[in-house]
Amino acid sequence: MKHAVTRRHMLVALGGLLAGLASLAAARTARGAVKKVLVTTRAPRDYDPHQHKWLMCFDVDKCIGCGLCVDACKTENHVPAGPMYFRTWIERYIIKKPEPGSGKTRGDVLVDSPNGGRDGFPTTTVPREEILKAFFVPKLCNLCEASPCTQVCPVGATFDAPDGAVLVDPNYCIGCGFCIQACPYGCRFLNPETRVAEKCTLCYHRITRGLKPACVEICPTEARIFGDLKHPVENDPVQAFIQKHKVHTLKPHLGTEPRVLYANLDKEVR
Amino acid sequence: MTSGKMPPQIFRLVLLTLAIIVSYIVARYLLTPATFGQYGFYRGAALAELATPEPVFAGRKSCLECHEDIQEKLFKGEHKTIGCESCHGVGRQHAQNPDVKPGKIGDSGCLRCHEDNGARPAWIKVIVVKDHYRGDKCAGCHVPHQPNEVP
Repeated sequence: MKHAVTRRHMLVALGGLLAGLASLAAARTARGAVKKVLVTTRAPRDYDPHQHKWLMCFDVDKCIGCGLCVDACKTENHVPAGPMYFRTWIERYIIKKPEPGSGKTRGDVLVDSPNGGRDGFPTTTVPREEILKAFFVPKLCNLCEASPCTQVCPVGATFDAPDGAVLVDPNYCIGCGFCIQACPYGCRFLNPETRVAEKCTLCYHRITRGLKPACVEICPTEARIFGDLKHPVENDPVQAFIQKHKVHTLKPHLGTEPRVLYANLDKEVR
Repeated sequence: MTSGKMPPQIFRLVLLTLAIIVSYIVARYLLTPATFGQYGFYRGAALAELATPEPVFAGRKSCLECHEDIQEKLFKGEHKTIGCESCHGVGRQHAQNPDVKPGKIGDSGCLRCHEDNGARPAWIKVIVVKDHYRGDKCAGCHVPHQPNEVP
């Protein structure tokens, strides 16, 4: 009986395949080395992510709901214009007075965020005498210490950077959307143009250059305070904020340990 | 079976196992991006890539290189916390080339913050547009850089 494929043939083929793969690997390493010399990125070189720990603080009483931060974020980060795509947004909470004699602390809670608050807020239709209190709550990525979004990524495309920013690698993300479902704060979306998950990067291209994130730069009332926990500057605004206010985080019962702190937060805010 | 010599079928199995392990290592080396694992279970190069885009907003500091006089005025009044680009818009082009004039600011710029919408905090001065004096533009009566002054 004649064999078309002998064991010798198989072994030679297997050896050839391995040799081929090994030479491919060598070629790839050489290409990487050449690329490193020839291609220069415009990324800041002297930035060490281990030397920082960024955080964001909000003073709810200072937010006037102008929406300039939402607009600035979209401009700075080229976020798609659609009404569902926001890296930061503002919510308006209107808490109505309770019915007389109902024995409740409050009436209905109305929350709206037309176009994320980008164009400001229209005058509310609730009559003034029915409003118990009303306020604006700015929102963005909560910079969780135990971030649920990075735990579910199947490919390692989203991660907690050493400096505390929770980032998405757009060149590695497969757009499965697990992280979007996992975020309890609704801070992620699927970019319809690039088809990858997108979120607040704390304006990573700005903070690595020593600038403030665009929303903080643009906020007219200093309702947003941004800082570094590892290297506080002189009269650090973040340290002063934490000393001055009783701070709180969103959804603390989830154990996500957010590093976005809110002062004067109402219990109705989710 | 002769003692001391590995049976050929066992030798073949060992060879096959080794081949699978080596091809796994080679394939893993080929398919894993170069900087994967530099900081953690992700591509370390992503950090530099995300830091690459040029900032759009120039920031207060670059405005003050030429307009320090305006800052002095601004710091005396209640608008001292407002960044230049909050009202004037993106100033990068103007900062790089002063001949490029920044955009004009209309009354809508003032009303974004100062129009009553039912939820503003008590400390900010708001107006109801239809009840407010409408004879002129905002800047006809108010000085944006010194809101406490009257022209």
